[in-house]
Amino acid sequence: MPGNRRIDQQKKRIRRRPGAVVASSLGLVSLLLSGCGPADSGVPTLTWYINPDAGGQADIAQRCTEEAGGEYRIETSLLPNDAAAQREQLARRLAANDDSLDIMSIDPPFVPELATFLAPVPDDVAQSTTENTLEGALQGATYEEELVTVPFWANTQILWYRESVAEEAGLDMSQPVTWDQLIEVAAAQDVELGVQGSQAESMTVWINSLIESAGGTILESPEASADEIELGLVSDAGREAARIIGTIGDQGLGGPGLATSTENTSLTLFQGESGSFMVNYPFVWPATQGAVEGGSVDQAVLDDIGWALYPRVFDNEETAPPLGGINLGVGASSDNPELAYQAIECIVQPENQTEYFLTNGNPPSNSEAYEDPRIEEQFPMADTIRESLEIAAPRPQSPFYNEISSGLQQTWTPPDEVEPETTPEQSAEFITAVLRGERLL
Amino acid sequence: MKSTGRDKIVWTIISILVLVYALFPVASILATSFKAPGDLTNGSFLPSPGLATLDNYEQILVGDAQGLFLSALWNSIGISLIATFIAVVLATLCAYAIARLDFPGKKIILTTALAVSIFPVISIVTPLFNLWRTIGLYDTWLGLIIPYLSLTLPISIWTLAAFFRQIPWELEQAAQVDGATTWQAFRKAIVPLAAPGVFTTAIIAFFIAWNDFVYGISLTSTEAARPVPAALAFFTGASQFESPTGAISAAAIIVTIPVVLLVLLFQRQIVSGLTQGAVKG
Amino acid sequence: MTSAITKNPQAMKKNGRTDDYSDRAKAERRLGWLLAGPAFIIMLAVTLYPIIQAFFDSLYAFRLTAPDEREFIFLQNYVTILSDPVWWRDLAVTALITVVTVAVELVLGFALALVMHRALKAVRGWLRTAILVPYGIITVVSAYAWFYAFDISSGYVNSWFDWVPGIDQDLNWFAQASTALPVIMASEIWKTTPFISLLLLAGLAQVPDELTEAAKVDGATWWEQMRKVIIPNMKAAIMVAVLFRALDAFRIFDNVFIMTNGQYGTEVLSLLAYRTSITRLEIGLGSAVSVLLFACVLLISFIAIKVFKVDLAGNTGGKR
Repeated sequence: MPGNRRIDQQKKRIRRRPGAVVASSLGLVSLLLSGCGPADSGVPTLTWYINPDAGGQADIAQRCTEEAGGEYRIETSLLPNDAAAQREQLARRLAANDDSLDIMSIDPPFVPELATFLAPVPDDVAQSTTENTLEGALQGATYEEELVTVPFWANTQILWYRESVAEEAGLDMSQPVTWDQLIEVAAAQDVELGVQGSQAESMTVWINSLIESAGGTILESPEASADEIELGLVSDAGREAARIIGTIGDQGLGGPGLATSTENTSLTLFQGESGSFMVNYPFVWPATQGAVEGGSVDQAVLDDIGWALYPRVFDNEETAPPLGGINLGVGASSDNPELAYQAIECIVQPENQTEYFLTNGNPPSNSEAYEDPRIEEQFPMADTIRESLEIAAPRPQSPFYNEISSGLQQTWTPPDEVEPETTPEQSAEFITAVLRGERLL
Repeated sequence: MKSTGRDKIVWTIISILVLVYALFPVASILATSFKAPGDLTNGSFLPSPGLATLDNYEQILVGDAQGLFLSALWNSIGISLIATFIAVVLATLCAYAIARLDFPGKKIILTTALAVSIFPVISIVTPLFNLWRTIGLYDTWLGLIIPYLSLTLPISIWTLAAFFRQIPWELEQAAQVDGATTWQAFRKAIVPLAAPGVFTTAIIAFFIAWNDFVYGISLTSTEAARPVPAALAFFTGASQFESPTGAISAAAIIVTIPVVLLVLLFQRQIVSGLTQGAVKG
Repeated sequence: MTSAITKNPQAMKKNGRTDDYSDRAKAERRLGWLLAGPAFIIMLAVTLYPIIQAFFDSLYAFRLTAPDEREFIFLQNYVTILSDPVWWRDLAVTALITVVTVAVELVLGFALALVMHRALKAVRGWLRTAILVPYGIITVVSAYAWFYAFDISSGYVNSWFDWVPGIDQDLNWFAQASTALPVIMASEIWKTTPFISLLLLAGLAQVPDELTEAAKVDGATWWEQMRKVIIPNMKAAIMVAVLFRALDAFRIFDNVFIMTNGQYGTEVLSLLAYRTSITRLEIGLGSAVSVLLFACVLLISFIAIKVFKVDLAGNTGGKR
């Protein structure tokens, strides 16, 4: 069982640490370490900390291990489900100079904070892995104009809609639509918009895309130290974002569950009777197909689904869709950084990215990986996703991202209390005070 | 009290009320564990007719979440049993001393046990986290067993001390007078009397270790030591955005089974342990 | 710990060894500490060392991801915390949860204790078994069970109770503290009432039957028996149960973490400490929150022991 092997690996590592001395002094060491198999042959083992998925990363690890022909072996170890909790685990281990962090799957917003603990990307690796990387994904892997992680897969939200609703409203979905149009349709037709209003990371995602789409930016001085950071919240763009969120909240257009709605609850809403438009990630497609197979959603609903780029804020200004995904980093304390980067080169090959998209639904960051005809067949919206990834905007790139994001989440929720005149200002003041260490979060 | 017909009816009603109170939330999560992902939002207690499924159990026992759940289950069982065993052994010695021997400091020991049992776990978790990182106990079994002792030792000492005070130690002397050796006297006269108390204490201590969440999420980071309550927060749906409601519910039911079994088998002992001889068993 | 309330005659008995020779006393003393020592040392080591360390850390500005910027700032962290409305809001929420849950548990627990005490032999075992299920269940499991039942998308409570004024299909229980806290408290109450009822059952068993019988003979009603005989005789048991539960409720974490993670004004002190030191990795500030939380627990115990004269060590302290 792979689980056991992983545990054995852990135990082996533990044995080398001074902790073992403490353990043996307590006479417990045999209890704890018994059952450890003999040390494996001389092949260096790389541990890859993966975020939970449907098993795709473990498959890639196995494939690359085979391809390596005995040069290295990749073992995977699972991180928590929630992005913030993943960061927490990685940050704690990195700060402890844990040498088991060979390869890590990192969510782009946490890259700047962890950058100081990462081994630099060798130039040739940077070259070979980013040749065809989509622009948005590349930005998310870069900090202070340097590639600090390698883009693996990239995620973005697109606008999903029910064709019947759009038709009835007379919206031409082949043209870009704006948030105001969606608000109008939802109010007129008594349907609900699928947005994420929960006090969670998804709220930051929404605010960031609205502000970026309106031509603003949350963080104006990415390189400043904590007490000198300047925020672009109090601006026309910030007020515009607050107006949109506040209107949707105030008029109840996001459904009764808006204040706690996440990506998953928006999807449920969208599949239901009052579903209309929804901003959400590509998982929507396989999840709805699965629900149809399972019998809880009608085939008619699936047939009614259309997609387009993330809505605009102003009709004459390009939208800035959310950017997510996973980049790969190598821990600075890793025993085998060169091998780790070699393994990463293997992991992110376009073929693996294609396969990962097909099996796990996570879109490639490499444009080449979209060329496989199977992709178009399985994800008819792949072109929209790819286009979205070209123009997607990363969230604030700062080592204090966690503070900025939590500060936004706390001040911009619940959505019905967001006001364009007060919310941006209050949140800017609050976040600045937290960063100066004057307030609790 | 003689049971009349009216009594019987009244007691039947009361019993049903108590049963509903005690078991309803368990039934609720049991029902949820049979719901298919698309059926979770059907707004009713039970799965929709025809859609009930065992998929959630399959996912955690043989499917994708197997590695996560089974290793957590193994960790939880192992760590809780070891912590319980150590706590009961140490507490037995300690409680024996308190009940049988005359030495200064008894009161200090009991007061310390009391103080430790009211200690806010969260207050010590950060320093322990830092210390464990330094000495390499972070994310190991031992790294959880030691803090679990702070949860299980105090109640074990108090429970056992109370048990031991009720043992008629004169029996030991009586047996010795009858010609038994000290060891025989202890084994024949005292052990049978003390064993139920020790056993009961072990069950209570096990429940406490089994329940821990704060240490579990703070002092572990991989399958190497992560216990079940912490692992429940790590489940994932088909993608990271889909709520793993079904898998969590199924796992919740599986980890509740041992609790229900222990309670079914040993309710009398647990009650008398917790009320300590106040209820004559 | 529950033995505090059992009046155990054997424990009170002097064992008449006061005239022992000093040699023997010394040997006994040594044996006593030899047997009790390991447990005592472990308890101290696992709690005393960390809290001292926490206090030390709390005097620094120290972020785990920026170890080089560690700086001694004396009591500044405490000033920051105590001047922040977040601390006082979380304290108020924690206190509210503590007071409400303990009050409800006391009433509910007493009722359950009476049921168990008086139950017919035939059902007694079943009742005890049922009541012990919530006691043994994992708190996190309880939290999920209650959360899923009330959650607007996966729950059924709204459709069951939509006839109750204020509840309808669209009620989002976890979107505001006024509805989220009752659910959190319900889960806490469900899980911990069995404990309090067992403590009270122990107290109930100590009320001498003769007293109740005598009251009955005197023609006292059921309520008068309760008020004049049973409750006064159980006062010690009740006080101990209340104090233990109050301290436990004050440390509430699991239920809030699972159900709301503190959003919309439902954050409690333990969660604040956790989020500051573990999530934000602000070790200094987080340690200061932990130390303050510890101080609150100490204060509650102190008030209970001094003002309400709760006799914790009670009759179990051995010889007096």
